[in-house]
Amino acid sequence: MKQANANFDFDDDAPLLEAEGLTVSYSTSEGELIAVDDVSFTVQEDEIFGLVGESGCGKSTVAQAVLGLLPTNGAVPSGSIRFRGIELTELEKRELDALRWENLALISQGAMNALNPVQRISTQIVEAIQAHRDVSTDEARERTAELFETVGLDPERMDDYPHQFSGGMKQRAYIAMSLALDPDLIIADEPTTALDVIVQDQILKRLKELRDELGISVIIISHDISVIAETCNRLGVMYSGKLMEYGNLKDIFENPYNPYTLGLQNAFPTLRGEQSDLISIPGSPPDIADLPEGCRFMERCPFATAECGGEHPPLESVGDDHASACYRHDIVDEMRREAGDRETWARLRSEVVATGGAGDE
Amino acid sequence: MSGETSSSVAHSEGEPSQGWRRFFENLRNSAREQAHIFAQSRMAVAGLVILIFYVVIALISPYIVPYGPYERIYTDAGGWAKLQPPSLAHPLGTTESAYDVLSQLLLGARIAMFVGLLGAFMVAIIGTTVGLVAGYYGGWVDEIVMRIVDVLYGLPFIPFVIVLVTVLGASVWNIILGISLLYWLSTARVVRSEVLTVRERPYVEAAEAAGASDFRIMAVHILPNVIPLAALYAAIAVGYSIVAQASIAFLGFGDPTIPSWGVMLQRAFVTQSFGTAWWWVFPPGLSITMVVTGAYLVGRGYEEVVNPQLQEK
Amino acid sequence: MVNKRYLARRFLLMVISIFTVATILFFLFRMVPGGPMSAIMSPRMTEAARQRVIENFGLNEPLWKQYLLYMWQLLHLNLGQSFYYGQTVKTLILDRFYNTMALMLTAFLISYTVGIYLGAQLGWIRGTSKERAGMLVVLLVRSTPVFWTGMIVLYVFAFKLNLFPLGGMRGVGAQYSGPVSKFLSVDFLYHLVLPVFTLCTYYTGLPLLLMRNNLLEVLSEDYIDTARAKGLTNRRILFRHAARNAVLPVVTAFAIAIGFAVGGQVLIETVFSWPGLGREMVKASLRSDYPVAQGAFLLLSTIVISMNFFADLAYTYLDPRVRLGGT
Repeated sequence: MKQANANFDFDDDAPLLEAEGLTVSYSTSEGELIAVDDVSFTVQEDEIFGLVGESGCGKSTVAQAVLGLLPTNGAVPSGSIRFRGIELTELEKRELDALRWENLALISQGAMNALNPVQRISTQIVEAIQAHRDVSTDEARERTAELFETVGLDPERMDDYPHQFSGGMKQRAYIAMSLALDPDLIIADEPTTALDVIVQDQILKRLKELRDELGISVIIISHDISVIAETCNRLGVMYSGKLMEYGNLKDIFENPYNPYTLGLQNAFPTLRGEQSDLISIPGSPPDIADLPEGCRFMERCPFATAECGGEHPPLESVGDDHASACYRHDIVDEMRREAGDRETWARLRSEVVATGGAGDE
Repeated sequence: MSGETSSSVAHSEGEPSQGWRRFFENLRNSAREQAHIFAQSRMAVAGLVILIFYVVIALISPYIVPYGPYERIYTDAGGWAKLQPPSLAHPLGTTESAYDVLSQLLLGARIAMFVGLLGAFMVAIIGTTVGLVAGYYGGWVDEIVMRIVDVLYGLPFIPFVIVLVTVLGASVWNIILGISLLYWLSTARVVRSEVLTVRERPYVEAAEAAGASDFRIMAVHILPNVIPLAALYAAIAVGYSIVAQASIAFLGFGDPTIPSWGVMLQRAFVTQSFGTAWWWVFPPGLSITMVVTGAYLVGRGYEEVVNPQLQEK
Repeated sequence: MVNKRYLARRFLLMVISIFTVATILFFLFRMVPGGPMSAIMSPRMTEAARQRVIENFGLNEPLWKQYLLYMWQLLHLNLGQSFYYGQTVKTLILDRFYNTMALMLTAFLISYTVGIYLGAQLGWIRGTSKERAGMLVVLLVRSTPVFWTGMIVLYVFAFKLNLFPLGGMRGVGAQYSGPVSKFLSVDFLYHLVLPVFTLCTYYTGLPLLLMRNNLLEVLSEDYIDTARAKGLTNRRILFRHAARNAVLPVVTAFAIAIGFAVGGQVLIETVFSWPGLGREMVKASLRSDYPVAQGAFLLLSTIVISMNFFADLAYTYLDPRVRLGGT
C-alpha cells in the first residue's frame, strides 16, 4: 500500500490544536448556510476537551472541519485550525492524509456503522496501520492483537466481522483502531451514543485511562452534558453554530454564566443521579437557513430582554479560563437561582405558544 | 395517542361521504404537490414536452400524412420508386416496396403511443393493486404474492411475448397482454415496500382503531401516498412498452397491416436495405429513442426531486 | 460457512420456478391454433411416428394425464422432435445453448465490469458537469432499442468500414476439431466482436446507474468518513470501501436484469444471425415448429432462473452479514 508521508515543521510551543475564528459554510439550494460561526478554542497536551450542545448546533461540523471530512459542499471560508502550528485548512489532500490517524485520529459517531460491514475488523485496523507505516501484514496483525488487549477485547476475535460484535464491542474495536498509530489527539464524536449506560460508562472510563496512560489528548463531542462532565477538563458549549460558554470544566459547572448552559444542565440527570427533576428547554434551535437577528438563543431564553435582539453577544471573559456570550451577566445570580425552577422555563413555553416566538419584542 | 384524536377520526369515519371527500381531497392535494415538485425539475419538463410532441403527432398524423402508409410511389417512367433517397417530394425517401418513409414514420407514432400509454396504465393499475394488497394485508397474502413475483421474474419477457403471439396470434393486444402480465413486477415490489411504511403512520392506525374497513383504509389513507411512486414507474413503463412492441414487431411478430416503427425496421432489416438506405433506418430508431428518453426523463427528473438522496446537495 | 438454510430455501424456489414455468408453457401450448396435436406433431410425420408420439404424450388421455406425462417426459429431457430439422429438440437446443452462453456471458462479464467501474466513477464525481454529461450519454444509450443499435453497428462497421463480418458465428468453411478450438479460435472471436459490443451497450446501463445511485448513498455512511480519516487514498476509499458496499444491491438487481438481458439476447442473435437459442426460438415460432419453440423457451427461462440463483449465491458470498447469519 502507498503510505501517506509528509514532513511537517511542528512548532513545539504552539498548542496541540487551536481553532481561531473558525467558520464553516455549506452551499445548498437554499443558499450559503453558516453551520459554524467564528468559533475559537484551544486544546492542550494531556487534555480532554468537550464540545457540547443540542444536535444541529455545529459541534460535529467542527470535528469534520478539523479532520478535513466536510462533505463536498462544505467549506471553511474564514478562520484557521492549527495542529502544533500547522495550518490544517491549507494542506493538500496527501499532506493531510499524512497527519490523519498518525497524529489526529477519529472515533466516529455511533458504534453502528462506522466500521465497514463487509470487511473483517482486523483488515480495517491493518489497513489503517499500513496506510502510514511500511510494515508487513504479520507485524500489523500483531499490533492489532495488542490493541485489542489494550481496549479489553479478546484478540482471538479480531478476524470477526463488525456485525458479529455487540455495540459496545464495536465501539471498543473502533477505539483500538484509533490507537493503532499512537495519535496525539483523538476526536471522539458522540462516542457513546446508542450504547447502554453501563457500556457507556466503561467506554468513557477507558478513554480517560488512555489519556492517563498513553498521554493522548481527546476531544469529546456530545449532546449529553453528563458525558462531558464525567470526562473532560475543559469544554465549549455550542449553540446554533456559536460558542456560548467556554473554559474550565470546574468553573463552568460550578459557576455557569450562560442561560443556555444552565438550561442544558437542567435537561440531564446530574452525576449524583437525581433523575427526578429534568427540565428541558422548550422549543428547538433556530433553522440555520433562517437565523434570528440578535442572540441566537434569545427565542428560547427566559431572561431575554430587548437588548438581546440587536446582535449576537460576543464572548466575554468572566474568569481566569472562563468566557461566556450573554448580555445579562449582571444578573447571573438571579439567572442561576431561577434556572433550577421549572416555572421559569414553563413561563417561556406559554409565551412561545402565545406570541409565536419572542422575535416581536 | 390521545383519546381526543381517535374520537374525532372515528367521527369522520362514521360518515362515508366525508371519508370519500377526504379521499378526493387527499388525492387533489397530493396531485397539486406532485405537480409543483414536477415543475421544479427541468429534466422532467423536457421529458414531458417530448412525450406530448409525439402524442400530438399520433393524434394528427392521419390528417397530415402526404401518402397512405402502403401507397405505392411510382417513378416518372412508371416503375416502382424503390429506395429513393430523400427528396423534396419524399423528405425521408422511400422503402424497398416504394412506400413513403415519412408517412409511415408519422403514422407509426400512433401505435407506439397507444401501446406505450396503455401498457403503462396497465402496469400502474396492476402493480399498484398487487403491491397495495400484499403490503396492507401482510402475512400469508404477502408471502404468496411475493413468491409469485419471484417466479414470474423467471419468465424472460421478449421470449414470453413470442410464445403469446405464437399461440394467440400476432396482434397488438397480445403484446399489451404480455406487458400486463410481466411488467408490473417491479412496480408491485416498490409499492408494497412503500405501503409497509405508510401503514405504520398514526393516521392509518387511528383509522384502523376507529373500525374503518380495509378497503376504505387502502383507498382513502394509503393509496394517495403511493400514487407518486406508481406514477414514476408508469412513466418509465411507457418507454419499456414502446421498445417491447417495436422489438416484437422487429422479430416478425408484429401486425404487418398496421404501420409501426418496429415493422419499418424489420422490413429494412430483412430486405438487407439497411446497409444503404440510412433514411429508412434512422428515423424510426431515433423516434423510439426520443420517446423512451422522454419517458425516462419524466420518471428520473421527478425521482430526483422526490428522492433527496439523489439531489446534488 | 455459508448459511445452509437460506441456500436450501433458495434452491427450492429455483426448482418451483422452473416447474411453474413448465406448467404455464404446457397450458399455453394447449391453445395453439389446431389444438394440442398440432403442437406436438408435424404434419409431415409418418403414421407410425404419429402413433408413437400420441402414446408418449398421451394425447388421447384426459388433460391431467397429459400434463403428468408431459412432466414425466420433461424430467427425461424428452422435448420431442423438431418438425423442421427432424432432430430431437434436446440435441438441437443444447447445441444452440452453448452458442448463446458464449455470447451472453462474454457480454455480461464485460458490461458488468465496465458498468460497475463507470458507475462508481460517476458517483464519485457527483454534482459536476462531467457527471451530468455522463448521465445524459448513459440515458440516451439506454433508451436506444438494442436491435436498432445492432443495425447501426452493422451499417458502420460491416457495410461502410468493412472491418467485421455481417453476421454468423464462423467464416465459410471453418472447421473445428472440438468445442475448445471452436470457442477460442480467432475466427470465432472475430465474429463475436460486433454482437458483444452491441449487447454491452444494452447491458451496461443498469449496473452503471444502480452503482452510481448506491454509491451516492454509501458515500454518506460513517465508515466512509472513517476511511477518509484514516488517510487513505481516494482510489482506495472508492474501491475498497465504497464500491464494495455499493455493489451489493447491483448483484441483487440481477434478477430484473437477467430477464431483460435474455430479451436483448434474442434480438441481437437475430440481427447478427448468431445461431443461438433466441434466434432458434424466433425462427421456430415463425415456422410453427412448436416443440423447438417450447424447448428453447424453457431453456431460456431456466437460464434466467438459474443465473438468478447464482447471483444470490454471489450476494451471500459478498455480504458477510448474510453469509454468516446474524443481523
